[in-house]
Amino acid sequence: MDKLFRQPIQLLYFIAFAGVFAFTGCGSKTNNPEPTTGKLTLHFSHKIDNEPIVFDDMRYVNAAGNHYLVNEIQYFISDVTLYHSNGTSLLLDQWEDIHYVDTDLPETQNYIFKDEIPQGTYDSISFTFGISEEKNHSLMFVNPPESFMFWPENLGGGYHYLKLNGKWFNELDQEAPFNFHLGIGQIYFSYPDSVSSFVQNYFRVILPASAFNLAVGETKSVEVIMNVENWFQSPNIYNHNTHGGDIMQKQHVMALAVENGWNVFTANTMTYK
Amino acid sequence: MKNKIVNTVVLILVFWFSGCTNKSTITPYVPTPYEIEIPFGFPTILNIPADNPMTVEGVELGRYLFYDGRFSGRTHPDSLMSCATCHRQERSFEAGVDHPGFPGGFPHGITGIPTPHAMLPMINLVWNTTGYGWNGLLYPTNPNPDARNIEDFVRMAALAPHEVNGDTTQIKNLFQTIPGYPELFEKAFGNKTITFTNIGKAIAQFARTLISANSKFDQYMHGEVQLSQPELNGYMLFTTEDGGDCFHCHGGFGNPLFTTHLFYNNGKDTVFNDIRDRFVITGDPMDHGAYKATTLRNIEVTGPYMHDGRFTTIEEVIDFYSTGVLSSPSISPLMHHVNNGGIRLTPQEKADLLSFIRTLRDDEFMTNPKFGKPEKFPDE
Repeated sequence: MDKLFRQPIQLLYFIAFAGVFAFTGCGSKTNNPEPTTGKLTLHFSHKIDNEPIVFDDMRYVNAAGNHYLVNEIQYFISDVTLYHSNGTSLLLDQWEDIHYVDTDLPETQNYIFKDEIPQGTYDSISFTFGISEEKNHSLMFVNPPESFMFWPENLGGGYHYLKLNGKWFNELDQEAPFNFHLGIGQIYFSYPDSVSSFVQNYFRVILPASAFNLAVGETKSVEVIMNVENWFQSPNIYNHNTHGGDIMQKQHVMALAVENGWNVFTANTMTYK
Repeated sequence: MKNKIVNTVVLILVFWFSGCTNKSTITPYVPTPYEIEIPFGFPTILNIPADNPMTVEGVELGRYLFYDGRFSGRTHPDSLMSCATCHRQERSFEAGVDHPGFPGGFPHGITGIPTPHAMLPMINLVWNTTGYGWNGLLYPTNPNPDARNIEDFVRMAALAPHEVNGDTTQIKNLFQTIPGYPELFEKAFGNKTITFTNIGKAIAQFARTLISANSKFDQYMHGEVQLSQPELNGYMLFTTEDGGDCFHCHGGFGNPLFTTHLFYNNGKDTVFNDIRDRFVITGDPMDHGAYKATTLRNIEVTGPYMHDGRFTTIEEVIDFYSTGVLSSPSISPLMHHVNNGGIRLTPQEKADLLSFIRTLRDDEFMTNPKFGKPEKFPDE
């Protein structure tokens, strides 16, 4: 019995020594190379005439003279790319490369990249507004809120790039709803039943004045601002009275919106140590 | 000395293991996890509270309780009321306009007080993450812990004067006395002592199994059947802005729940004085007159329609969306046809749209024995 009693104690000693050696071993492995990377977060904000949007208030006037309000904005951006001053580019978060933004859901308004980003000077940031043809597949999002963005199969499938919903005072001074929605367009052989081809309306945005320097260990936060009035003013003056309340089946109107979309976004950069 | 210590340790170990052996004669509480099969295209995120995981035993118990009229806490034949009194399987767990006890499908409570609103669909509830009820009063992040999920709905139904008008203590005490129930509670929750909390949990578990996903349209999505030409025409109208534009609120191929579970003022009224609309929950003036967009699955059999049940048939609903939509400051921007009075469908288009909506009927669900009344109750 005596021997039996002693054996567990010896075993405990052995485990303790082994543990000490194991942890010492771990400690000796900590001679990591010096870190060379930082982090990036995009924060999305939404403005009209340089001020945060006051939703559901008919206080805005667009370039065509339409008085309008904004109720909600929902959209996808994807394939965020950084252009380094050395001429290389870096595509971020290739496994979570599509991000949904919703003005009603604050948690969607930050896009925190998992990638470690090499230090250095970056000349600009760009992204795809919407989702590229290669990636825009129906049912790839089964959970809300992204799934609520689905774009019907008969109109091209996949997902809305943008829902910008609001109201304007029409020519009869009635409050009229508008659904300024972008996605895959249709060329009709015979409207509305026969589509001869589809048009991919996603486009690249190069954020102006988005150069930044990223130091080691730094988290750079870039505010990406959607200047909503630009959807309606440049280069095409967009008149709701002309185009009506819905545009999903009007490719010629979505084409105007796409051209205006190139100038919708601007950037501000901030740094957190 | 050492021998004494060793003997003491051995004795302790012997007693310890003897104790374990004795305990093993008690039936252990080991419920069987219940796996929800997620149908094609449905969300993978489920609304199941952490303190009420789905178990086979819980679902089985919940089914008994759902159908047992003694849920009223009373035993007199005239005083029985269960969930199934109003929620009929053959009407997709709503009353339906042909309910024998509730003319027009307008339920009333055990004392005859009518419910303030028409019934809501009681299917595919496990995917509702935005709030239960016409105005979403029960939602998972509600600061009020008693108003978060289906479990709380069970308690509200038991107490409400326009429903069971019961007493939760009386109800749980009655079930405690019914042979068979304490054993079922023990299997489901590890304790023979019945609590109303566990009654709510069991019924909620059963409610979460009520999944309807085998309509003709589902079979079409799977490539198993083809839709007829009128049904396809209707589907086209359903999913186009220049047609019916139903899909933004009621889903489609990309959102097979056939609802967003969100709240909209769809243009039924211009004056809003209902104390149970969405505005009461959010305080947002844009939510005056807003109510949940219901799923359109099985909608064919779940009249009357709208929060106040103002329409008896789907034809009336389609007529409303065609020419009866009214403008107000809080009308949803998605109702972009409002200044034309609606979507202006022709008679043929209305017929086609109805044909498509009928493809969302799931007869297998409405006759599936596993959702039906048990052949006998635990004391029978």
